[in-house]
Amino acid sequence: MSAHDTKVYVTDVEERLVHWILAASCLFCVLTGVGLMFHSWSIIPTLLGGYYATKLMHIYSGVVFAGMLVYSYYLWRKDCGFEESDLDWVLKAGGYLWPVKELPPVYKYNAGQKAFFWCLIVTGVVIVVTGLFMWLWNPASVPNVLARIMYMLHAGAVVVLAAFIMIHIYLGTAGNPGTVSAMITGYVTKAWCKTHCPRWYQEKFEKDAQA
Amino acid sequence: MAEYIKLIDVTKCTGCRGCQVACKQWNSLPAEKTIFSGSLQNPKDLTYNTWTLIRYDEVVKDGKLHWVMRHDACMHCDWPACAKACPSPGALVKTPEGAVVHNPQYCIGCKACIAACPFDIPRNNPELEKMAKCTLCYDRITEGKQPACVTACPTGCLTFGLKEDMLEKAHKRAEAVGGTIYPSNPKYETHVMYILPAGVSPKDLQHTNPNPSMPLSVLLWKNLFKPFTLIGMGAVIGGAFLHYLIKGPHEVHETKEGGE
Ligand code: SF4
Ligand code: SF4
Ligand code: SF4
Repeated sequence: MSAHDTKVYVTDVEERLVHWILAASCLFCVLTGVGLMFHSWSIIPTLLGGYYATKLMHIYSGVVFAGMLVYSYYLWRKDCGFEESDLDWVLKAGGYLWPVKELPPVYKYNAGQKAFFWCLIVTGVVIVVTGLFMWLWNPASVPNVLARIMYMLHAGAVVVLAAFIMIHIYLGTAGNPGTVSAMITGYVTKAWCKTHCPRWYQEKFEKDAQA
Repeated sequence: MAEYIKLIDVTKCTGCRGCQVACKQWNSLPAEKTIFSGSLQNPKDLTYNTWTLIRYDEVVKDGKLHWVMRHDACMHCDWPACAKACPSPGALVKTPEGAVVHNPQYCIGCKACIAACPFDIPRNNPELEKMAKCTLCYDRITEGKQPACVTACPTGCLTFGLKEDMLEKAHKRAEAVGGTIYPSNPKYETHVMYILPAGVSPKDLQHTNPNPSMPLSVLLWKNLFKPFTLIGMGAVIGGAFLHYLIKGPHEVHETKEGGE
């Protein structure tokens, strides 16, 4: 184990980089998207150099998001696979809303985190596919009755994802003290790890220590 | 400000296409290379540089043949779906006169208006990334002139005037020829109207929308999803604050440290 006696290394560099590039491109898309959608937020396009520039930034940031989305899928899909005990976790709302005696011991990610991951993948794919369509469709060959559904789906998927992102940010920072360092330095305290990922901790660190 | 209507009496159109040429001339739109397709209709469709054209249909109904020549251009909707969809302020503006005018200076080429329009009117210039369509000759009507196409029309098929006058005229004429007025959805009024000949319904003609309305997808997009993007995020932030105050953050069980 490392010099950090009380800490364990839980997120490697690759994961942290992907997380932050995904997060930055996604939040930038939300920001520019809001700027384009609400005339009352014209301050955003104004600061970014106009509506056309904002459109381009939204698109290119979206391309980065798309790439990182695919990367994330391969990176986390295994850790985020659902298991039976996740249902119990969900029925108890992860202990976040009302007092719960005992939660099913979590492996690396709890059911809420897994749900967020899959929500990101599903809405992300909808957003990317409809976004690519909006960018590249040729009105001469696509009927506009179809095209307008794409614009609608793009906005609809964002409603879900944007709200879930806010939950993710809260639970990753203020809502769970000690969590955010997992995505910054990659380390968390042992106590944190035992609390939040008991099964994973056992397997990864206690078995190692015994061996 | 007075509202205007361009009335198109299809029963009077001879397909001379004077309007098509006048529109090009007034708006400095270049001619296009087209291919003869065996029809009077030429070019085949509206383009970035062709804001109006005569659509030609042969309709056989009850053993009777109708040659229908129809001046097709922007309908200048009273509640324009195109402007509702447009993200760039000033790019598509509904004027007090009723004209829906595009302003290329502000257009960012997002093609949202093209997707939204219930009449499939706006056209994209992929090189410039700008859309274009008929402006109801806004630069003429605000100077007291008639739209260029109306001025050019030799038969009286195209007329332009105050909304009330044109509505009255349309109903009288429709009655006189036994025809119908199109479009006729009172919930989606337009500043362009047609009198269709007796026996011809919009369903028989190409590029019409027999029951135009604000598309449902545009309504969901702009009236539901758009506000709920912010409402959703705001609600979560508010909820998070409350959660933090009432339930408090989820602390790690320090007691477990070293245990087990
Ligand atoms: S016909 Fe289409 S382009 Fe013209 S005003 Fe209506 S929605 Fe806009
Ligand atoms: S293409 Fe231009 S006019 Fe049409 S919605 Fe986009 S910015 Fe507005
Ligand atoms: S009103 Fe003006 S812009 Fe519109 S079709 Fe007629 S001439 Fe063209």
